[in-house]
Parts: sequence; C-alpha cells; structure tokens
Amino acid sequence: METVVKSKKDTRTKDLTSKKKSIKNTIIYTILGIFSLVNAYPIVWMVINSFKSESEFVVNQFGFPKVFVLENYINAWDIANLGVLFKNSIFICITATGITVLLGALASYFLSRFTFKMNKFIYSFFIFGLLIPIHATLVPMFILMRNLGLLDTPITLIFPYIAFHLPITIFILTSFMKAFPKDIEESAIMDGCGIFRVFWSIILPMSRPALATVVILNFIYNWNEFSFALVLINDPELQTLPLGLANFAGQFTTNYGAQMAGLTMSLVPIVIFYLLLEKEIVKGMTAGAVKG
Amino acid sequence: MHLTKKSKVAIIIGLLPALVLYILFAILPIIQSFYYSLMEWNGISDMTFVGIDNFKRLFQEPLFWSSVKNNVYVVTASVLGQIPIALFIALLLNRKLKGVRIFRTIGFLPVVLSTVVISLTWSLIYNSKNGMLNELLRTVGLDGLTQNWLGDTKWTMFAVLVTIIWQFIGLYLIIFLAALQNIPEEVLEAAKMDGASEWVTTFKITIPMIWSTIIVAVILCISGSLKTFDLIYVMTNGGPAHSTEVMALYMFNETFSKLNYGYGSAVSVFIFFFSLILIFIVTKVFKGKMI
Repeated sequence: METVVKSKKDTRTKDLTSKKKSIKNTIIYTILGIFSLVNAYPIVWMVINSFKSESEFVVNQFGFPKVFVLENYINAWDIANLGVLFKNSIFICITATGITVLLGALASYFLSRFTFKMNKFIYSFFIFGLLIPIHATLVPMFILMRNLGLLDTPITLIFPYIAFHLPITIFILTSFMKAFPKDIEESAIMDGCGIFRVFWSIILPMSRPALATVVILNFIYNWNEFSFALVLINDPELQTLPLGLANFAGQFTTNYGAQMAGLTMSLVPIVIFYLLLEKEIVKGMTAGAVKG
Repeated sequence: MHLTKKSKVAIIIGLLPALVLYILFAILPIIQSFYYSLMEWNGISDMTFVGIDNFKRLFQEPLFWSSVKNNVYVVTASVLGQIPIALFIALLLNRKLKGVRIFRTIGFLPVVLSTVVISLTWSLIYNSKNGMLNELLRTVGLDGLTQNWLGDTKWTMFAVLVTIIWQFIGLYLIIFLAALQNIPEEVLEAAKMDGASEWVTTFKITIPMIWSTIIVAVILCISGSLKTFDLIYVMTNGGPAHSTEVMALYMFNETFSKLNYGYGSAVSVFIFFFSLILIFIVTKVFKGKMI
C-alpha cells in the first residue's frame, strides 16, 4: 500500500518536472527560432524578391512571387559582367590559396620539426602579421605595386593575399605539426629519404585535417576580400566579384530586381561551399579564432 | 632533428619563399607607411620631408576626430552587442536539444558571406522607398516610424551598427560553443548533484570556465571593429555629412580621392598604433593572452 502511494507521488512530481521542462524547451526553441529568423531572413528576403518583377516587388514584398521572373537574372548577368567576375575570383582565389598553403606548410614544417638559431624569431615574425591592420598598408601597397609594374594585372591581388594570410596559415599548421611524435622522420631518413621527401610523403599527408582548415579559411578570406581589390584593380575586366558587385550596385541603384539577382548568384558558390564543408569550416574558424 | 649542412640548406630553401613574399608585401608596406607619413606627397611629384607636420594637422582636424569617435561607436556596439548575444545563444545551444545543428548552421551563415554582399543586401533593406524595414513598419501600421535610414544623419550610424552586429554574432557564437563543449561533463554533473540550480551553474561554473575564451573574443572583436571599412564604404561611403566615416575610410578618402599620400599615411600609422595600444590595454586589464 505504502509503495503504491509513493509511486503515485513519484509520477506526479515527474509529470510536474516534465511539464516544467517542456515549457522551458518551448521558450528556448522560441528564442532560437527568433535568432535564426533574424539571421537568415535578410538573405531569404533578397533571394525571394530577386524572382519578382519590379511592379510585384512594390506591392508584394513579403510573399512568394506569383510568377517567377528570370529576366532579373539575365539582366544582372549581362550588366554586371558576372561571368568575368566569377572567372577572375575563381582564378585568384584558387591560385592564392594554393600558393599560401603550400609555402605556409613548407615553412611550418621547418619551423615545427627543426631546431635552429632563428627558429623562434622567424615564427614570431610571421605571427606578428596577425596584428597588422591591412588598411594601414593600402597606400604603400599601391605605390609598391605601381613601382613593380604590378598594378591592374590578373596576378596583382595574389601577392597581398598570400602575404597577409601566411601568418594564420603558419600559425595553425605549426601548432598542428608540432604535435607529431618526435621520431616520425627518423626512420624515413634512415631509409635514405631526403628532407623534402619527408615533407611531401609523410608530413603533408599527416597534416590533412589542418590543411583542410587552412584551405577553407584562405578560400573564404580570398573570395570575400574587398579593400586590396578596390585599391589595386581598376580594369573592369580584372575585377573580382565583391568589387564588381559594389560597382554594379552603385550604378544601378534603382533596378532592385537585377541587384538582388546579382547578389543571389554571387551567394550560390559560397553558400554551397559552406553547407558542404560546414563541419570543417566551424572547426577551422574556432581553431583559428580561439588561438589566433 | 639534428642539423647537418644539408639540412641547413634545406631550411633556407624551405623558408625563403614564404619569407620573401611576406616581407615584401606585408612588412615592407607597414614600414613604408611610417616613412611616407613624414612626407608631403601627392603620389606623383617629388616628396618633401615635413617631419611631424602631417600628425600636427591630423590632431587638429575635426573630421579626423569624428572618424575616431565613429570607430569607438563601432567597437562599443560590437563588443556590447555581439559578445553577450553570442554567449547567450551559445549557452542555449549547448544543450541536448533536437535540431541544434540547424540553428548553428544558420547562425554562422552571415560570417561566411562577403561584406560587400551583406552591405548591399542591408542597403536594400534600409532603402527608404521600397526597403523591407519601412515596408514592414507600414504593414504593421507603424507608418510614423519609417525613416530614411541611410540618408538621415540621425539614423545612419544606428542602421550601420545594427548590420555590423548582425554580421559577426555567428563568429563569436561558434567560438563560445567550441569552448563550452570543452568543459568536462563531470564538472557540471557534480554541480547538479550538489543541488546547484541552472542559473548558479551557468554563472558560477560555466562562464568562469570559459572566461579566457570570452576575453580572446573581446580582443578579436575590438581589433576586428577597428578594421571596419568595406561595410561602411559600400553602404554609406561615410555619409551623410561624414556621420558614419571611420578612420580607415577617412584615410582612404584623403589618400585616394584627395591624393594626400603623406597625410593619408599618417592616418595609417595612427590606426596601427591605436589598434596595438587598445589590444595591449585590453590584454593587460583582463590578463588575457596576446594572440
């Protein structure tokens, strides 16, 4: 008898706590829902409205388009010269990212696996780069590029992009490579492997997770960079996507549909990239940000 | 690894390309901006050495000081807006809830997008005629609150700050989430066993345990805010009437529009030291780790 009463009481308190818990969860989900809405809606609003005609946009901003108008996209592609912008951005992004990661990995290998006199100094020297505000270098960069005859060429932007992203690349890769066991190279060297062979066949494959991180970080930075492009590139045929879009929007302030279509198209690659590699990106961002 | 002559050569070969590019395109420019800041120069003619005249002029220029003030607004809004909101959402997401991943994915999305795209999207939102914000206010019957958000000196800074806060909450959210997930579960279990309420656990255990991460986030937030340029350049170009002009933008206009290369470089040098000193103070005050 006693036990029955007790268990009844138990279920009642359980009911109460679970009820309390479900109220709490509802509140949490509501807050998270509002947060997500505020986060995503500006982008969603733009994407949806990019399919509307000018007249529908004015009367029906918040609903779905009644007729999907693809004209905005055709206009944007032509007027903003999006094909050229995409081509330039992809070329610069891939080249700069490739070179940064390769040179950064090589430098990190020597800085993390070898002891020599200047080691600590060179490492700190590279890390110092994290503190340089890029805007403080725009003027001399412009003049330097002009003196080198590198203003307004297809490869102009590659140089500052490499230089300014080597610090974070070396920072992440060095701390990763340092963690490898000490005798990792010994046996390979004993077998007659050269130093660069060890780097290429042993260290690089072992660093894959960190390499993924720095590739992603570099890619996002380079894809989105604006200031150097603004100062160093004038020729419309050489502009990158952010620069081209900014100019396009400045010239066509009243053509909302085309603007939104252009922005939407420019979003597609980076959003796909993000959704595919979300886990790695988040990992990379935290590794880079918490420490860097 | 022990060093042979061969490995010394290898080290030099391995480090040289990275060092050369880094020195030539990152270190050299920052040193040169010091040199240029002592010159009067329009970028084409011969330079004349003017000593610290550029700095004297700089400190007497009201427009420069108003750009410093606007930078301080950006820093303050970012630190007070982004960090607490990000921490709050991270604490909510750090539970065994269904769908956490979706919220996290959406939360981080703005960080991946280019600042130019974000600026243009928000410019459309703030558009006085057909923008989403005014349209929304009209729809809910608050016509009186509609504004020319980017054209009215009273509101422009506010509008810009909202966008800046929006853009980077996700970054700090992810940083805090990573830190929270590193807290050993036993610690929180033990607190629960001792009968500590969730509030107490959060404020007495969880937050103190990730305090160093919070400080790093604050430092990142400050140094990031001092670099604000793209967003304001695209959204308002510092206007109306310089009301949203920040230091980097002031420097850009002086140099590349008015061709005052020496004077512009002086602003650059100021930005460099301003960031360095501010980061140094914050690290000292909070005893955080530099970098």
